[in-house]
Amino acid sequence: MTSTVETTSIRTEGPQGLLGRVAGSPLLRLVVRRVLIAIPLLLAVSILTFALMAVMPGDPARNMAGMNASEEQVEAVRHQLGLDRPPVERYLTWLGGFVTGNLGKSSVSGQPVAQLLAERMPVTVELVLLAFAVSLLVSLPVALIAARRPGGIFDRVVMVISMTLLAVPNYVMALLLVLVFAVSLRALPAIGYVPVTTDVVANLRSVTLPVLALGLPIACFYARFLRGDLVEQMNSAEYIETARAKGVGPWKVLLVHAFRNSSFGLLTLVGLNVGGLVGGTVIIEQIFSMPGLGVMMLQGVGSQDTAVVQACVFIFAAVAIFANLFVDVMYAVLDPRIRYGSR
Amino acid sequence: MTISAKGGRSAKRLIGAIAVVASLGISAVACSGGGDTSATGGDGTPQPGGTMTVLLDAGFAGGWNTGLDPATSNTTGSNLPQNSAIFGGLFTLEADDDGSNAHIQPNQAESYSWSEDQKTLTVKLRQGITFSDGTPFNAQAVLWNWIRGLNSGSSGLVQLDLDSSAGAPTNLSEDFMASLWAALPADVDKNAVNADLAAIRVVDDQTITMALNAPNGALVNGFPVANLNLIASPTAYAKLGADAFKLTPVGAGPFVITSDKMSDRLELKKNPTYFKSGLPYLDTLNFQSVAGDQVAYQTLQAGQGDAIEGLSSVTLIQQAQSNPDVGVLLTPPTSPYVVQLNTRTAPFNDIKAREAIYYATDFDAINQGLFKGQGEMSQSFMASGDLFANTKVDGYRTFDLDKAKALVKELGGLKVTLGTTDIVTARAVTTALQTQWQAAGIDVSIDAKPLGDVITTFISGQWESMLQTAGSWDPSVGIGVQVRFGSTSAFSGTPLPQGASSAADALAKKLTTPLDDLLVKAVSTTDTAARQQTYDEIAKYISDQAYGPFGMAFSPAQVVRKGVHAPGLTTKIPALSVNSGVLYDRAWVEGGK
Repeated sequence: MTSTVETTSIRTEGPQGLLGRVAGSPLLRLVVRRVLIAIPLLLAVSILTFALMAVMPGDPARNMAGMNASEEQVEAVRHQLGLDRPPVERYLTWLGGFVTGNLGKSSVSGQPVAQLLAERMPVTVELVLLAFAVSLLVSLPVALIAARRPGGIFDRVVMVISMTLLAVPNYVMALLLVLVFAVSLRALPAIGYVPVTTDVVANLRSVTLPVLALGLPIACFYARFLRGDLVEQMNSAEYIETARAKGVGPWKVLLVHAFRNSSFGLLTLVGLNVGGLVGGTVIIEQIFSMPGLGVMMLQGVGSQDTAVVQACVFIFAAVAIFANLFVDVMYAVLDPRIRYGSR
Repeated sequence: MTISAKGGRSAKRLIGAIAVVASLGISAVACSGGGDTSATGGDGTPQPGGTMTVLLDAGFAGGWNTGLDPATSNTTGSNLPQNSAIFGGLFTLEADDDGSNAHIQPNQAESYSWSEDQKTLTVKLRQGITFSDGTPFNAQAVLWNWIRGLNSGSSGLVQLDLDSSAGAPTNLSEDFMASLWAALPADVDKNAVNADLAAIRVVDDQTITMALNAPNGALVNGFPVANLNLIASPTAYAKLGADAFKLTPVGAGPFVITSDKMSDRLELKKNPTYFKSGLPYLDTLNFQSVAGDQVAYQTLQAGQGDAIEGLSSVTLIQQAQSNPDVGVLLTPPTSPYVVQLNTRTAPFNDIKAREAIYYATDFDAINQGLFKGQGEMSQSFMASGDLFANTKVDGYRTFDLDKAKALVKELGGLKVTLGTTDIVTARAVTTALQTQWQAAGIDVSIDAKPLGDVITTFISGQWESMLQTAGSWDPSVGIGVQVRFGSTSAFSGTPLPQGASSAADALAKKLTTPLDDLLVKAVSTTDTAARQQTYDEIAKYISDQAYGPFGMAFSPAQVVRKGVHAPGLTTKIPALSVNSGVLYDRAWVEGGK
């Protein structure tokens, strides 16, 4: 009897209880729906990666065995790596392992992929987060100041510089930064990475140039976008005119009214940029000899180390997908119309 | 007005700052001044102490993904710097400071000798050497390493034709055999191991012998690039286990590993028990992997590196040569470029087509255009750094466009696919060759592929012409003349022996070509004069049969900051295969820093 009463009580209280409220939340439904979409997407990425590695020119077994190896030795390596099994079977084996938390072993070094990821992930995560921080810290004030007086000297200089820097590829930017700050000024190291756990200052010194190489082009991109959007808002939006008519000061109009609306666009851009930024680490880590995921993936592709490449691509794809999910959620948090529109 | 003026000052400051940054960049790029390319200084007396950081290309010496255990590493041949520092080596290749008089010198070995029939090699070890873990460096340790090296799947091993007719050895203890089996792969062919043990014998604590079925005059010369040269501590292996041993192998070389981040950074410190009194000079030695020549050179300029082993970009070499702060050493080259022609299939089964390629090829122009004249021209698989240097061949067909055109016309046209490894320099050379050959009326398409795929293409036999390099210090070592021109080699396009349908068939029926016989003759003696004569004959034979025009030989440069000294870095040692071997036990830095 007691239990019946309790059950009834819970059932009755459900829609008003915390769980019920959460379950009924449009935001949560949005998140769940997007996560469910992400799963087949990630599956598709893993299949595509596996297929590309399988059709890539070259013979991983021969690469591993070396030029002097006999055909018998190469066949033995092929068997050891499982390359003599059908691709579908190999993929399903990998997927089975992945789902159960076993990422396999590198076919080159023999080290567990999970261990390699654990060693290298912090480097890439630090690079990406700091690059984002730099891009926002640079772009936001620059865009706001430029938009405050469109066509002014600052605006024009910023636009020219940002256009120039945007045209410079990451790796050229990296080499130029090294040339100036490491070779000429000897102010920062040209290569290498010091973990933050070893020495915080040395860590910051070691990541400064790579972070700038990654973050500055993005900062330019954000600055140009945000400045354009702000100017458009300031020139044509009715609510801006209303605010001005009420006697709100120009900086307040810009920061409080225009920026709030423009931040939606910027947020979208940030989400879209995550994939590109993570991808950019592949080149930057290589140039600065940083032991991160990007270098690991590149080495994996070179040696046709499928387990390593699969894991890296999966992580990169997951980051891009979930960054976009995060942006969508933030949208919904900031603008209830989106949240309820998603029903 | 006020606002405008402020804006103007801001702009001026900004432009000024940009100008400073730009000028710093330009001055760094330009930093030339003429001068000293020796990079030496002081009175040249070695000084103990200090640290050296050597920058290695991630795509070659700077990659050691399969670890540093000599028995299982697949990059032994390219990891000469690391191996030299950790293991030292039974033998080293040494030369006078100008690169002349290059010779194999016993190092941890005290001497070597051949039996009268030249089929048994006896190696005597120096007394009193210990591994850095304190255990003895003796004949049993060498045997343990050699057997592992031959049976653990490393690509660094030497192909040996061992004579195992003497039967199983009786002087090996149970403990030794247990240690050996524990260090071999679980699925190792035990019969093969026992056959090797029958051929390689411990005579006494300091003496080991290796019995061969036939003389091999190139065997000892090949040691410095082979895993047989690298002797590791069996005790350390048992203690550490296979995985840890790959990362931190223990040898008896001048340095011991303190940190190994695979294919990233290797840090070593002086081995206090090193067997050479007063050596090594350096307290610490680091190897840093870097992404290519540009990064390596900038890192050296930034003061984060002391030496670059193997800078191959001609532009950067020239830039370094005009930089007074660094020294550049070009070592005698040993591996000329060659366009291998596949005689087993059309169109190069016709000697006229091969001759047309010889006459249409102007490697001199390519050397001037792409290598700024830094390459050394050769008409054979030997260059000036070779043990049997011979760069001129009587009757060699040199560039003659008219003759090439006439031959192409006689053939009724010539269509060729030119294969190459997909690396920048090789692609540039093939593009130049394409232009030259097209001028002779030859229709050329380039097929650039990753190395692995080039190997697969070779093995399939489905290729027409391939741009490669051929040769090493001893022409029969590594990717030498045997690999490129022996009829049963998977990487050769010379004709199969008469009566053989394939290389395997030729091997089974023991059929050979006249060129194969010459190649065997070249290693079938340890007599240097006899070998020289045979290699000259081989060069002439290849030229007469037009198996492939040879071009420039080019060695990557060693670049050091001022005050750095080491044999192989600042004095010349011929390139063993690609890069020179640097003798790090004698590396030193001025001022001990």
